[in-house]
Amino acid sequence: MNAPSQLQQPQMYRVKDWMRTHLFNGTGNTILTVLVVLIAGFVLFTVIRFVFIDAEWSVVSVNKRLIFLGRYPKGEEWRLWPPLWAALGLIAAAWGTWSSLSRRDILWLLLAAVFILVFVAHGTEGLLFGGAVVLAAVLYAGVRLSGTDPTMRSRLRLAIIIGWIILLPGTIVIITAFDGVQPALWGGLMLNILLATFGIGFALPLGIALALARSSSLPVVKWFSTAIIEITRGGPLVAWLFIARFVLPAFLPDILNTDVIVNALIIVILFTGAYIAEIVRGGLQSVPPGQREAADALGLSGFNVTVFIILPQALKAVIPALVSQMISLWKDTTLFSILSFTDALGGAKAAFSQAQFVGRQKEALIFIGLIFWAGSFGMSRISRRIEKYLGVGSR
Amino acid sequence: MSVLIVLFVFYLIDRALDLDLGFGFLSGPGGFAIAQQWVTDYQSSDTRWDAYLVGIVNTVRLILIGIVFAMVLGTLMGLARLSSNWLVSTIASVYVETIRNIPLLIQIIFLYTAVLLQLPRISDTYSAFDIFYLNNRSLALPFFDADGSAGIWFLLVALSAVAAWAVSRSLKRREESSGSNLHPMAMSFAVFILLAAITFVITGSPLNPDAPSLMTTGVGVQNIQGGLQVTPEFAAVLLGLVIYTSSFIAEIIRGSIQALPGGQNEAAAALGLNFYQRMTLIVLPQAMRIAIPPLTNQFLNLTKNSSLAVAIAYPEMVLIGSTIINGVGHAVPMFILIWATYLAMSLLISIVMNTLNNRVQLAGR
Repeated sequence: MNAPSQLQQPQMYRVKDWMRTHLFNGTGNTILTVLVVLIAGFVLFTVIRFVFIDAEWSVVSVNKRLIFLGRYPKGEEWRLWPPLWAALGLIAAAWGTWSSLSRRDILWLLLAAVFILVFVAHGTEGLLFGGAVVLAAVLYAGVRLSGTDPTMRSRLRLAIIIGWIILLPGTIVIITAFDGVQPALWGGLMLNILLATFGIGFALPLGIALALARSSSLPVVKWFSTAIIEITRGGPLVAWLFIARFVLPAFLPDILNTDVIVNALIIVILFTGAYIAEIVRGGLQSVPPGQREAADALGLSGFNVTVFIILPQALKAVIPALVSQMISLWKDTTLFSILSFTDALGGAKAAFSQAQFVGRQKEALIFIGLIFWAGSFGMSRISRRIEKYLGVGSR
Repeated sequence: MSVLIVLFVFYLIDRALDLDLGFGFLSGPGGFAIAQQWVTDYQSSDTRWDAYLVGIVNTVRLILIGIVFAMVLGTLMGLARLSSNWLVSTIASVYVETIRNIPLLIQIIFLYTAVLLQLPRISDTYSAFDIFYLNNRSLALPFFDADGSAGIWFLLVALSAVAAWAVSRSLKRREESSGSNLHPMAMSFAVFILLAAITFVITGSPLNPDAPSLMTTGVGVQNIQGGLQVTPEFAAVLLGLVIYTSSFIAEIIRGSIQALPGGQNEAAAALGLNFYQRMTLIVLPQAMRIAIPPLTNQFLNLTKNSSLAVAIAYPEMVLIGSTIINGVGHAVPMFILIWATYLAMSLLISIVMNTLNNRVQLAGR
């Protein structure tokens, strides 16, 4: 029964040793530690006092709808839930088949879900969101249990990929069809999420096509694609969004020329596509030339060589870069507020422009900053997981 | 495929021909005022081209100052992440992970509306020693007041720099052939200071110290005159760009230092070099070889991100361009001009950084 006391003493020594080697090794470091403790303590104190005492979070809770949905019409919210359920379910299933949740992941996800349920989603929304979380958890557990068999697992993976491919057009149909909500009325965080997913969903094939075209042997194709990539990368996205508003309508055929948001989305796809093209081109160059020669020697057609031999290896090598492009697109969707769309940032700006919330900029901006931070940080963690899974760093 | 592309290009040209593509509108009068100017002196009766030049100057000022500060802060943070002090490295990594995952636009708007505009009004301005002022209209610092001959003096200073470079080069060559230490760095620096001082006196001391002061006009309106005045718009964009870019630079610096074989630092320590010597003589010069290409990318990103200043109405190129378009149209040529200006800036940065890269690579081998 004296085991605990025996254990405790080394523990004490360990803490002391740890502090000596990590915080107080040498005079300079000791002074540094004391200084940093003072400054960090002051900053932490200010932040905590702000969050729990000084801040008036009603600017967020009153304008929740504005921040999350913008000018989206009332009564049409039901259209958003099926895509959200499907997306969360697919994420959970994908996570279950390709990887597994560590205890730390579960802790973070639970924290996020509890945060959303306590502060954001109440009543019916809370139930619907809670249902989505339960569905995701059930799917994850089911996939973990049934995915031990290799053939079953590969079938599951195929189903999940098909599900993702259906989800994008499916979402548009659910939101706009049958007297639905036209893009001009999309807004809030929902607009940011849709722009980012559609942006990446269309920009990826475009980028791959541009990269292949740039390494083509046909001079016209090659020069055209090089011109598009370099012209697009030459200017900042803000300037391109202004072009979407002022210039693009003159160039588009009438079918596509319906909505400023669609114009802006086309420009965003072009912009992201150009950056992805350069990333993919790097990947193409990293594939050893022997691969193509070997495939040619086996008698594969040019198309088959590209699609089944070259591209898989090229894309695998650039997944981290592609994810960081996704993250930067996710952050860049806030630029739509400059064109006076009511995205999440536009909604937050509208919220603190209201007379009763003057001087509450901090709360509104910190809230949406936290949302965007969570999205980017989560994606960068997932990217690290994929890297580990593919062994990109260890080759 | 090629045929389709040619057809598509013809379609674009056909559509473009319907538009007015001339640049003649730039010589018309601007008709709008620009509040924030530095060096330039544009009036609303000047041409639109003059207005656009103000935009270019405002953008360049943002980029140059931004790159310098972002580099300093980013290097500090990158070194801090590698510190043996657990607290310092943890705080640095929290800084990096927080800043780089929040959209720059949110940070700029936060700095502008939630921090700088919430400073006290000019009537209860913060001030220190009556020469520093900080309020929601400006940050005023003591600076120099340039008179008419300053331009000539700047030119002469540039010539002195060239002379100093020539001195250093010839001394280095003599040093290599003779083997004795001739202190080329110190000598050329002395030459530069001496020449600059002599020309300063000859041109009749064109720069005079100029401290800002709080003035009250007849009707009780207060304002600050003189000195270097930084507007909240400029400060917000600059701070945002510096903080955001520094978080990426910190990661690049950390990565390039970690990519060095650890033996380099250990061998330098075994030779008895102190931390500062190890960093400046052994570690950083080698790390720079790895770091320069990604740093170039970050500088280019900073250049393009400077256009976010539009959101808080800091008059840089895109804002002035869109003001002109709102007034008289001609969107296509205006955007071609803006695009070409960004391209020129990006090319200039790339050329400078590639030259630097080549020198660093050669020096080591």
